[in-house]
Amino acid sequence: MSFKVQQMLRTVLYHLLVMLLGFVMIYPLLWMIMSSFKPTNTVFTTAGSLIPATWTLDNYINGLKGFGGIPFTTFFRNSFFISVLATAGTIVSSAIVAYAFSRLPYRGRGFLFASMLVTMMLPAQVLMVPQYLWYNKLGWVNSYLPMIVPYCFAIQGFFVYLNVNFINGIPKDLDEAAKIDGCSPYGILFHIITPLLTPALITSGIFSFIWRWDDFLSALLYVRTSAMYPASLALKLFCDPGSSSDYGAMFAMSTLSILPVLLIFIFLQKYLVDGIASSGLKG
Amino acid sequence: MKKASVFFSLLLVMCLMCTAVMAETHLNVAWWGNQVRNDSTQAVLDLYTKETGTTFDVTMNSFGDYWTTLATASAGGQLPDVLQHSTAYIQQYVDNNLLLDLTPYVESGALDTANIGENILDLGRMNGGLYGLCVGTNSMACLYNKTLLKEAGIEIHDLMTMDEFMAVCREVYEKTGYKTDLGYGTESFFNYVTRGLGKPLFVDGKLGIGQEEAEYFYGLYEKAVQEGWLLGGDVFASLVAGSVEQNPMVYGSSPETMSWCAFNWSNQLKAMQAAAPEGVELALTTLPSPDPVKSGFVACSMYFSIAASTANPDESVRFLNYFVNSVEANKILLAERGIPVSSVVGEAIAGDLDPLTQTVVAFVNNVVVPNSSETPKPDPDGASEIFALSRELVEQISYGALSAKDAAKTLIDTANDVFSR
Amino acid sequence: MNSSVSHRQKRNLREWLCRDSVAGVICTMPFIIGLVFFLIVPMLLSGYYAFCDYNILAPAKWAGLKNFARMFTADTKFFKSLEVTLFYAFVSVPLRLTFALAVAMILLRNSRLTGIYRAAYYLPSIIGGSVAVAILWKRMFAIDGTFNAVLGMLGIESRTAWLGNVSTAIWMLILLSVWQFGSSMLIFLSSLKQIPQTLYEAARVDGAIGIQQFFRITLPLLTPTIFFNLVMQMINGFLAFSQSYIITQGKPMNSTLFYVVHMYQQGFEFFKAGYASALAWIMLLIIGAFTGFLFLTKRYWVYEGGA
Repeated sequence: MSFKVQQMLRTVLYHLLVMLLGFVMIYPLLWMIMSSFKPTNTVFTTAGSLIPATWTLDNYINGLKGFGGIPFTTFFRNSFFISVLATAGTIVSSAIVAYAFSRLPYRGRGFLFASMLVTMMLPAQVLMVPQYLWYNKLGWVNSYLPMIVPYCFAIQGFFVYLNVNFINGIPKDLDEAAKIDGCSPYGILFHIITPLLTPALITSGIFSFIWRWDDFLSALLYVRTSAMYPASLALKLFCDPGSSSDYGAMFAMSTLSILPVLLIFIFLQKYLVDGIASSGLKG
Repeated sequence: MKKASVFFSLLLVMCLMCTAVMAETHLNVAWWGNQVRNDSTQAVLDLYTKETGTTFDVTMNSFGDYWTTLATASAGGQLPDVLQHSTAYIQQYVDNNLLLDLTPYVESGALDTANIGENILDLGRMNGGLYGLCVGTNSMACLYNKTLLKEAGIEIHDLMTMDEFMAVCREVYEKTGYKTDLGYGTESFFNYVTRGLGKPLFVDGKLGIGQEEAEYFYGLYEKAVQEGWLLGGDVFASLVAGSVEQNPMVYGSSPETMSWCAFNWSNQLKAMQAAAPEGVELALTTLPSPDPVKSGFVACSMYFSIAASTANPDESVRFLNYFVNSVEANKILLAERGIPVSSVVGEAIAGDLDPLTQTVVAFVNNVVVPNSSETPKPDPDGASEIFALSRELVEQISYGALSAKDAAKTLIDTANDVFSR
Repeated sequence: MNSSVSHRQKRNLREWLCRDSVAGVICTMPFIIGLVFFLIVPMLLSGYYAFCDYNILAPAKWAGLKNFARMFTADTKFFKSLEVTLFYAFVSVPLRLTFALAVAMILLRNSRLTGIYRAAYYLPSIIGGSVAVAILWKRMFAIDGTFNAVLGMLGIESRTAWLGNVSTAIWMLILLSVWQFGSSMLIFLSSLKQIPQTLYEAARVDGAIGIQQFFRITLPLLTPTIFFNLVMQMINGFLAFSQSYIITQGKPMNSTLFYVVHMYQQGFEFFKAGYASALAWIMLLIIGAFTGFLFLTKRYWVYEGGA
């Protein structure tokens, strides 16, 4: 009896603690979301109070109206298009390359792995101009190609390394056994590794999607037509320090732009939990 | 047979493409701005398309991003046909032959400048050519909280000298607790002050001032820190830099984090008033200077230029001509880029302007124009580095970590290094 | 006969393709193509610019070692920004990883609310480095901001402008980095899921509980992931940019001037792209040396046995 009470107390305490910390974590965002419902000229003057004195949807209406006749939904659609394709390319290519780095030794592998790490060590900002010149030469400027195609070639070492790390954690006996059964390295990748890699693939998918979704720099360089802007770049159009800014609309559209990402996260994190646990991995 | 059909269909496609290209010209136009400017400019482009058939690709960005894209685009020879330009960067673009000289078009009459004053055209003349057409004028101004001064019973007047202004700052601080934002981050104030001392900040692409003038300028901040009324770096650290909505004149919860005035461009009055709390009325006057008339000038708020690499120079000029001279277009734009440069347009739209914009126009025409000197040349290459350094020096003075004398010496030394390269 | 030859050839080809080393190269192919086409060319170009006078607007002119000489002799902010960056990386990364691991352990527990908790803790990482974050952070730590208000409620009167104070500003950026710990947390979480339950059961039989279990099983099996996170986050830490760029711009008094922000200002605000490239390549050397060092220590503390 007392043990049960103790356990219940512990559960309650646990939830209380997690919720409290969680509230601190999301407070700043809550502030942003609440601000998006305040009249735009009072966003800062009433910054001290979280709950709007008067609720308004004007910011959403104004924000969705967009710029120069381009509705904001266009920007969201562009973002989706770019993020989904680039993410798919990233997940697939990174997993395949990681498989080779983890399981298939060959001469020069170490060198390639090291050069992959080295490519991550140069600040992206310094590559902006050279990359632009190169894509310009390829005739890719003012299209989405520079923001999608390279990602299909595992250019982000982070994701390759992440997958390598996970594949290393998968017991080798599984593929040894499959090999004896006559399974080719490709077969092992598809039939043995990939199912066990689900959590890593999901994790990569979440990261990649969010990073592509938030990325405005490449759009800034490569997209010259405003109607083709992704949401991340269009958001910046609300704030022009040289003239007046519409912070209310900016907060409203920022709120809308984290929604899809949040939904995807909530939807996918379920698979994170189930991933390995349900696949009956033996120690 | 098969080959022939392929050949003919190719030919057909090519013909179609050619006629498509010939039928309509296509221009790329780029500018920076906010939602109001984006909407109104797009409306003018749509109107132009309806009238002439010329279609547009537009690139809109916020100010900072705009220059990043422009720089990379110019590296790839991909500048937009028509682009908005600023006094801060135009000289560098001209020096690197990236912009088109408009002089021939003015001479041929394709660009009609009959109603534009020669002094305004001069603002876009560099290196012996006309590389930017000023599309609007404004001036530096000291925007201030009129309500606050009225309640405190403090009187100010236009063309205040530096000493008069500093006395006001002291009085405001004593009576209300409001501090003074002495042009924190407003680069043009530096030049404004040194012009009043008889030395423009830059002369022939070099630093035009010496230790004495620099020390005078930084001395203002030093004095303000000593007397306690300077709004310093710690307050600005919590604000969005340059944002009108978070300007300490209109934003803040207590006098110690607020300023009674803001040094800015005259056309900011409208945005600033919109951001001000209810019941606070703003007004504008000239910036303080040791000699206000020597300092004052009518500024080009922004240029429109045409890229040297454009494939359609004639059509670009035709559009530019329309943009500046069309009454219809400017009734949509409503002087949002500054006071229209064409006198005809200015008169035609005067009645359509909102009261605050009218106040600004009256201020520039009645106060600044009669009391001004020659407009400074666009900033030379290297100026952005000098301004960045100067901002840091002012910051250090505001933290009490640097004397005006040392600040002036650092500035002179660094400038010598920057301009000798 | 003819068909049997081609049949044999086919079989040989298939065998050849299925050799580990051949399959390895084939599977690495996407990366090799990506490296050659999308990474090497821009990198080499920027390496070339490091030895040039290049203002972006006009073609680059060869300048020899001038940029590098300038860095060590004439650029007062070079060492300052390096110092700030190293401090930031070495403080924020361990803090962030510890926090991420702790939260991952807490959220490992399955309950009906777990999904929501995870989303809540991950939310700050979603908005990344957008303009909204800059405004939020400035707002939280302003003189009249939320943080001071909370302190006031706790009875501590504070009029500090946290972002405007030379000694506290960098900590606000470190705090931001810790706040956005979501990616590391997620990686920890999925590796924790990868640890077979049977090991814990075995340990329980041996009498290991709670803390002991953590140190005997969880931590050792997690070392490859810790190592991965450490390497990635340190590289990110050295290359940190947006926090400083959008929130402080290096202020106050360069106390938050990250190396890459300094580099960006040189390149895009002062149009000295050649010099910026030189700065970038020096940073690459520093990170390369440090990462190399981490890999050298790997065999002393990273458990490589697999589960």
